[in-house]
Amino acid sequence: MHAGTSTHDAHEVHGHIHPPPEGFVRKYVFSLDHKVIGFQYFFTGLLIMFIAGSFAELVRLQLTEPAGAIMSHTAYNEMFTLHGTAMVWLVLIPLVTGALGNFVMPLQIGARDVAFPWLNMVSFWILPVAALILFSSMLFGGPHAGWTEYPPISLADGTAGALWCMAIFVIGISSTMTGLNFMVTIMKMRAPGMTWTRMPLFTWATFATALMNMIATVALSAAVGALFLEHVFNIPFYDAARGGSAVLYEHMFWFYSHPAVYIFILPAFGVVSEVLPVFSRKPIFGYKMIAFSSMAIAILAFTVWAHHMFPSGLAPWLQLPFMILTYAIGIPTGIKIFSWMATLWGGRIYYTTSMLYALGFLITFTFGGITGVFLASVPVDLHMHGTYFVVGHFHYVVAGGAVMGFLAAIPYWYPKATGRMLSERMGQLGFWLFFIGLNGTFLPMHWLGLEGMPRRYASYVAFAKAFPDAVFWNRFETVFSFFMMASIGLLAFNVIWSIKHGKIAGINPWGARTLEWTISSPPPYYNFKKIPEVSGRPYDFDQPLPYRNTDNELEQYPEFGQVTMPTPLPVGA
Amino acid sequence: MAATAVQHLSGHEAVAARYHDVDPVYAETRDLRLLGFMFFLISDCILFSSFIFAYIYLRVSAPTWPPIVDGHQLPWFDTSFAALNSIVLFGSGVTMHFALENWKQLNKQKFYRWLIATIVLGIGFLLGQAHEYSVVGISWAGSTMGASFFTLTGMHGFHVFIGVCYLIILGIQVSRGVYTDSKYFGLTAGTLYWHFVDVIWVALFSLFYLW
Amino acid sequence: MAQRIVPRPKEVQFKGLGPNFWAVTAVLALLSIANALYFMYGSIDWIMPGASHPVADRASDIDGLFKFMAVFGNAILIFVAGYVIYFAIAFRARPTDAPDAVGVQIHDSPKLELWWTVLPTLLLILLTGLSINVWYKIQFGTGAPGLTTEVIGHQFYFEYRYPGLKTSVFSKTEPMHLPVGVPVRILITSADVIHQFWVPEIRLKQAAVPGLIQNLNFTPLRTGTFGIACSEFCGPDHSLMQGKLIIEPVADFNKWLAGEKKAAAAGGAAVDLSAGNADAGKALFAQKCAACHNNPPTPFDQKLVGPGLLHITDDPAHPNLVDGKPPTAANIAEILENGYTGPIGAMPNRQANGLADKDIANLVAYLSSLK
Repeated sequence: MHAGTSTHDAHEVHGHIHPPPEGFVRKYVFSLDHKVIGFQYFFTGLLIMFIAGSFAELVRLQLTEPAGAIMSHTAYNEMFTLHGTAMVWLVLIPLVTGALGNFVMPLQIGARDVAFPWLNMVSFWILPVAALILFSSMLFGGPHAGWTEYPPISLADGTAGALWCMAIFVIGISSTMTGLNFMVTIMKMRAPGMTWTRMPLFTWATFATALMNMIATVALSAAVGALFLEHVFNIPFYDAARGGSAVLYEHMFWFYSHPAVYIFILPAFGVVSEVLPVFSRKPIFGYKMIAFSSMAIAILAFTVWAHHMFPSGLAPWLQLPFMILTYAIGIPTGIKIFSWMATLWGGRIYYTTSMLYALGFLITFTFGGITGVFLASVPVDLHMHGTYFVVGHFHYVVAGGAVMGFLAAIPYWYPKATGRMLSERMGQLGFWLFFIGLNGTFLPMHWLGLEGMPRRYASYVAFAKAFPDAVFWNRFETVFSFFMMASIGLLAFNVIWSIKHGKIAGINPWGARTLEWTISSPPPYYNFKKIPEVSGRPYDFDQPLPYRNTDNELEQYPEFGQVTMPTPLPVGA
Repeated sequence: MAATAVQHLSGHEAVAARYHDVDPVYAETRDLRLLGFMFFLISDCILFSSFIFAYIYLRVSAPTWPPIVDGHQLPWFDTSFAALNSIVLFGSGVTMHFALENWKQLNKQKFYRWLIATIVLGIGFLLGQAHEYSVVGISWAGSTMGASFFTLTGMHGFHVFIGVCYLIILGIQVSRGVYTDSKYFGLTAGTLYWHFVDVIWVALFSLFYLW
Repeated sequence: MAQRIVPRPKEVQFKGLGPNFWAVTAVLALLSIANALYFMYGSIDWIMPGASHPVADRASDIDGLFKFMAVFGNAILIFVAGYVIYFAIAFRARPTDAPDAVGVQIHDSPKLELWWTVLPTLLLILLTGLSINVWYKIQFGTGAPGLTTEVIGHQFYFEYRYPGLKTSVFSKTEPMHLPVGVPVRILITSADVIHQFWVPEIRLKQAAVPGLIQNLNFTPLRTGTFGIACSEFCGPDHSLMQGKLIIEPVADFNKWLAGEKKAAAAGGAAVDLSAGNADAGKALFAQKCAACHNNPPTPFDQKLVGPGLLHITDDPAHPNLVDGKPPTAANIAEILENGYTGPIGAMPNRQANGLADKDIANLVAYLSSLK
């Protein structure tokens, strides 16, 4: 056993590590390094987010006039379909699993890479291919039936519909392989001493997400695969006239797409679980319950899919178990929210950009979660299904939950990834733009939906006649949606500007205690010169550091990590 | 160990190299590829399960089965030929099992014989399926029965085809000395995959021919 | 390697649960009570149209459930948001703290965690009970309907069918009519893609799915004119697929329906039954009718959804068809064409069943041949 030795002959050390990749292509294009792959996912996801976000802005501009302000119904339908499709599969999942999971998780568990680096690289390169396939469908008129593309109406999309199916099928392969990769990595490649109960909560979240990714995505491949067969070869899975069933598609689609929403949100939960303790200088409250509830959510996620189908042809007796299980999934979620609140209590709180996003997350995600309980109730859902209430709900949990968690992660791990701090001033401005923009855009949708405005409406003349203030609220939402776009634009600028102008970050600018903060910023291609040995939990700020035999200079001070953060201002202003 | 030697390590050796500076015992207990391959097979199971769900749903909700198309009821499947073909496939599973056993006991010649038997039986199964497709009397696009049958058995047949190709590659690799008596993950993976294909066929045969 | 002894960081100090904790809690409690009072006694018409004067019995049931959830859901939100903001401010890092000061180093509190698991669970169990109660009323509470109508979704209009009315009423030209106070069953299906029939004031909606017949059951309680909207994406003009619903006194409804029947009586070509093929009809029966009528056909009383049709032409216990007319080929054809709605149940019309003229002829030939 090599215990606590810090002197290693350089040759001997490097002899145990793969030699560095050479050449631009090996280093930055077809890299096997999980950190580079994480960057690739990040930039690709952010680029597609701009495209999909622009489509959303076109949608919002259209709705400033009841009769539709800027485009035909067909063009509008194409816009909201591509917005949803691209955001779900080409932005959210790649960013939270591919970018965050890839970059952070191996570092947190003390590994030098993921279990199957070549598979990781292939998983990334599928993403631009899928994006090309999806956006090429616009040349054929584009898909029109929403990101759900229900048959029979989606069969009218022709070639564009078939291309949509292909794009989804292809990106599904990427998600499944990433899930498999992460599961094996976390199960088998943790540093010695890192038992399951000493794992950081972001890694727990990534594990639960990977489980869902691996199991659920294949069901989606089956659903869109059958739809593709119906488009191209007229195979009657979903055609009622020949014995098929449109409701069958809904079952197969939602069996994946419900776990998909938990795939978006669990990594965000993990980020919040990392950020709150560090910027409150106290341990996460209820570690075991947060870890356990992540797994409970991952499992329950597979049992609730038909709550998307309550009015849609589901046998009435089936509505009840799905309703009850959907209520039940609120319990582990509630446990997390309360545990995070208890983490804040009695803390010593720093208002860094990450912390602001985490705090905002607690409010907006809870709001979205509560409206979810309304939708879970079958009788009330019969009123709310297919209306703007649903649009408001899911944007609160997705934009106010998953995206906010992702935005909290960026300023937190950017220093580790690049060695520079992001500008705090830009970050704080970005936070307020996003938070205000989000609430302004999505809050009015709730009452518009209850009053009777259905979703996926390119114009709303009849509704505006019955409720004249609908015009005001739609315009209100459009104005605030630009605040969100501005925030993301500012983030992109910040990311690029700070590469050159950001303050130099040390090894551990936040005084955090997980393993990624024991190596240099940015880390070398091999991450850890010596695999550290873990001896404790990662969140106890009054305890000695929970690892031995690490690379960084803190080893010279084995008692406590440097926790001198300037007060009361956030770090790196 | 020289830096260049590290590049060509695979399997257990690569894992050991990753963790050698920590704990050799730790290094040896980690076989990532087997777990990864099992997870791949599980996800493949879910793919088949989804289409099986579709078939069950369509069949249970149809007013009659086999369905009536253009005024005529479609014919039931002929169980006897399919049962014969199933025996061929399950037989190939048995031969593959013996192939791997012989490899583990270092009988390279016997391994080859059992491997070739497996490949022959696998090809036999595919030919049997081709015959079945020609006599089954329903079309892929004509009904939900055809849709489910051809899609599911087609997916399965594709998996068998890939399996046969891989077994042939294995045979070539063995003849080139790629695998040793202690490092033969490719053979283990191939055997597992072949048994997986058998298990899927049990489900498909029961659902289409016995129900 | 220098071993530096660093003193353990000090935890921040504060009194009780935090500065002004109870004052903040009191404010949040007051807000929650105000929210509860508003939803229990105030008017929520501005978000739930027709809440104070329910348009249908089910609407007030659903509103009651909604209010229950608003009382508790908003209270939870008020407390969560309130405490998050309060904790973030009350426990902020202050310059007067030591630079390496830390927060209270607690990891968990089994008692607290137990309560915040058990209490929400109990609340959800209560909500489940209330939801099942309303669900049951929606499914089974209306009992035998006094009127059964059909709504068929098309791209991009609704088609309404009434008992005894040969023609349909189309949402593009006319409103749907319903009589107030009469329990109604609306059968819903689609002729092409998935649509959804929704009247916001009635709250209930159901999807119009091709190949399925769904139903909505309720009793209208108040007269008025209301909007119908399609709420499932159905194509380019989905947002133009609206209609009007007029709920009126029974007398006015009957007058309207009589007027429609009179207009329909003039005109309409009959189906040519001479070329009907009984064998083709038998196969078609198995394909289209077996979902609701036993196949092979059985005596009248052996019902599936609809009665057995074995002795449709020669049953001494039921000498006439269900609409009271003699079982001639023409009358059987009429039921196949127009469907049937009445005390015994409802049968979709030919459009919903997808029957062409020759299909009707074949079925009539087959049914006439049954003995």
